[in-house]
Amino acid sequence: MSTSRSYSRPIPLLAILLVALAVHGPLLLMQLPSGSFDANFHIFFASHYAHHWFEPWNEKWFAGFSQTTYPPLTHQWIALFSTIVGLNMGYMLVQLIAVLLLPVGVYRFARIWVDDRAASYAALGSVFLGSLSFLVYQAGQLATVASAALYLNALPYFYEWMSEARGRSLLKGIVVSLTAAAAHHVTLIFGVVLFAGPVIWTACLDAHDERVSASVAGVLSRAVAFGLMVVAGVAAVLLPYWLALIQHPIHQIPIPHDSRANFLLNSTIAVNYFVIPYGALILAFPFILVRGVSRRFIPLLCGFWLTFIFGLGGTTPLPRWLLGRAYEILTFERFTFWATLMAMPLVGVLAAQLLDRFQAKAAVALSLAAVGSIGGALWWLGANPYRPTGQMNVEPVIAFLNRDGHDSYRYLTLGFGSELGKVSTYTSAGSVDGDYNSARLLPEMTHYGSAQLTNAKFYGTAGMASLRAMLAHANRYGLKFVFVHDPYYEPLLTFVGWRKIETFNNGQITAWSKDDVPPAHQIPSDAIPPPWQGWLWGTLPVGVSFLAIFLELLLTEERPMPVGVGFPAPAENREQHYVA
Amino acid sequence: MKIALPIVFVAVTTALMVLALSGAGPARGTVGIAGGWAMYGLTPKASTPQQALTNLLVDVQRRNWDRAFRALSKTSAVDQQGFIEDWMGSNGSLRSFSALEDFDPRPLHMTDDQADMRVYIHWSTPVGPIQDVRDIQLVREGDVWRAVWPKFQPPTVPAEVIPVTYLRWDLVTGSAEDQWGSKNVDAPHVRIISMNAVNTAEGAVVMGEVVNEDTIPAFVNVNATLVDGSGNAIDDESSFDKIDHVLLPKQVTPYRIDFPDIDLSRVKNVRMDVKAALVPASADPVIGVMDQKLDTDAQGKAVLHGDLLNESGQTVNISHVIASFYDNSGKVVWVSDGYVDRALLPQSSEPFAVEIPKSLSGEVHNFHVVVNQYSLGRS
Repeated sequence: MSTSRSYSRPIPLLAILLVALAVHGPLLLMQLPSGSFDANFHIFFASHYAHHWFEPWNEKWFAGFSQTTYPPLTHQWIALFSTIVGLNMGYMLVQLIAVLLLPVGVYRFARIWVDDRAASYAALGSVFLGSLSFLVYQAGQLATVASAALYLNALPYFYEWMSEARGRSLLKGIVVSLTAAAAHHVTLIFGVVLFAGPVIWTACLDAHDERVSASVAGVLSRAVAFGLMVVAGVAAVLLPYWLALIQHPIHQIPIPHDSRANFLLNSTIAVNYFVIPYGALILAFPFILVRGVSRRFIPLLCGFWLTFIFGLGGTTPLPRWLLGRAYEILTFERFTFWATLMAMPLVGVLAAQLLDRFQAKAAVALSLAAVGSIGGALWWLGANPYRPTGQMNVEPVIAFLNRDGHDSYRYLTLGFGSELGKVSTYTSAGSVDGDYNSARLLPEMTHYGSAQLTNAKFYGTAGMASLRAMLAHANRYGLKFVFVHDPYYEPLLTFVGWRKIETFNNGQITAWSKDDVPPAHQIPSDAIPPPWQGWLWGTLPVGVSFLAIFLELLLTEERPMPVGVGFPAPAENREQHYVA
Repeated sequence: MKIALPIVFVAVTTALMVLALSGAGPARGTVGIAGGWAMYGLTPKASTPQQALTNLLVDVQRRNWDRAFRALSKTSAVDQQGFIEDWMGSNGSLRSFSALEDFDPRPLHMTDDQADMRVYIHWSTPVGPIQDVRDIQLVREGDVWRAVWPKFQPPTVPAEVIPVTYLRWDLVTGSAEDQWGSKNVDAPHVRIISMNAVNTAEGAVVMGEVVNEDTIPAFVNVNATLVDGSGNAIDDESSFDKIDHVLLPKQVTPYRIDFPDIDLSRVKNVRMDVKAALVPASADPVIGVMDQKLDTDAQGKAVLHGDLLNESGQTVNISHVIASFYDNSGKVVWVSDGYVDRALLPQSSEPFAVEIPKSLSGEVHNFHVVVNQYSLGRS
């Protein structure tokens, strides 16, 4: 076989999965995400499911909160794995599964628009995305990655159902969509529209241009039917979540987040939320724009553009206009992730064209671009100013709380960042703080525009006002111990009457106490889910994921994916198909 | 189509970005994490004194010291280190813990070549927000305005030996498991010697004074519960930082307990509860309160101002002034507090000011000031 021919073949999906495993497997085995912002949050939730599978009320944060405020699927899978490999490795395993599902999803998603070869390049490229590394290793957004990967796998079924009315596709599409919804709510509510819109539009175009046998009306009616069934399914699978949301809508004062800033006015924010996630993909923007105007690519281009604009946060006013109040609740790095995924089919086309034209040189350049993107994101882990406190040793704090009846009081950490989740996971004591903003109901936290009390100083006056309010009500909540990993907070504690009682890790962490605090008691709340919700929460989300696995194994495809319309055509006459 | 659509996308994106730059204003972000600077050409030119001062303060806020210093007039008498220290504080002072959160520059006086600006500065600090007012002179140099920064003289103290002769009480706990505040001895005798409840625009306020009547130091906390006509508790709050928690023998401290958004007319009774525990304490460092005077500040607010003199040999990083104000019958009519944002070096003084509500300033006949302190490594 000639060299040029070897560059014109699609890469087998198995090989792509092996590459993903080779790249991300060791990083996950090294537990690199354990220092990310949200990893400990996910592990904390999983730990609760591991101990109380059917009891979503968790007393360990916010003096009590309901875990039905966050879709449980990834956490329940971690909990399941934790019985064999422990919580940390359970997290890494679930993250690895999500990372492996992603290139499969990108391949299948890309096949709606491009041929096998370009789709395989898109899938391979997705393994090296800066945005993926950013979310996995820096942000720790396990659920976002898992949910996006699952939706990408569901969308080709949706396309098949719309264009071919195959019952099998309908069934699998719905079940995989429900599984994705059970993993992450924000992806469900916002991502689905951005991803599904271009797919519906493309199916209509294909019907209109008679590339598929269906009519436009048929496509649209089947899309509506699919949508209604998914909505009904999601309503059932996540019923406790919707009930919790209806009972306690998010009325908190908006919390500042740098992803909502104008990237043009701050270079650090621009690097963190734009340069690192897009990486070498930035070089492909002109191609995406030029090639995207092909009639069949236009839906994808429009979807990409809209998602791209959302990912820019406050750099344009469009997200604020379209999202209204939700703009102040959302963070926008996930939109950048989705934008990169949506760009991948066109990037696959670009890679195919470059390889056709430059062969080995293109292969080297593309490899460098891919490695540069993931390498940049990994380098940024240690260089970014947002980096979490990382490998702080919180074992002495956990030991302190678990001894001598200290767990009959509540505690607070200051300057611990995401390590709060780790302390909470392994101590039997409860905290008034927590790392999940949407679950907070205590007025000391919701009435101020700040997030976790442990990070209060980063929210300026609002953060410190929230902390002061909580310390002022220490007796009310049985808040007796404060652990400080940042001397910034010591003057406040001193002036409001707390005393340093112990130091840990050679003074890195200090323990403070207040003498007249009574033991903690349960804070009455109307947010405690009734037992039937606990049973529903413990069965339906994880059940639907088992059903998805079962269907994927049982109802295997009779022909290679996807439905496809053989578009674009093989390499030798691709030009006339790529550009309308 | 081939050309038009990409152009439309690029044009719309650019237009949206311009719109965001011109209209929306900067989004509220986290404090002190992301420094960085605006993309080249997007920092507005300092063509007016207001813009020059805004640019300077944005750089100070983001701690872009090189850029901020470069933007000063050449006639400034300060060097870069002094400029940084002027903003950032030194010696572990409250200013060194603070972050510049917001500012509001306003013109005072302006000619073609010179302008005087007053900037209201909002600091975020560990002990709560602090407002600062600073007058800054700017001059036109070519087509841009630049701030003229005065020489910053960091406080220095001469080398000397200061003997410590003040009393100190140590506490020997019975076992390693005992926490601070000994459990196996009687609590010190402390007593509330006065209490007054008033209504303010922000809510009800309960205030007064507490004395340690014992011969041992006491850690004191005052709690109050407001009770309505039917005997139900409306709210309970504590003195928080409006009290000097550690009282030496015979020492008196003011206290104030705020009940936000509660109207005193709903309150039938106030249940007071003072808790005391034995703690180790030292009379050192002694901080003298000098030259106290009721006055009106530059903004027209009624204030009690004076100087704090550190009479000891160690640096006091943060001083907290709590003042009780009495009417002519000796009743406490208000308790006010404030933090000093500069460190008190040994044998040196720093000015302080605490505000009094204007409506009460005419009633005040006398006042009493106590000073609480935080020293790094000694909490």
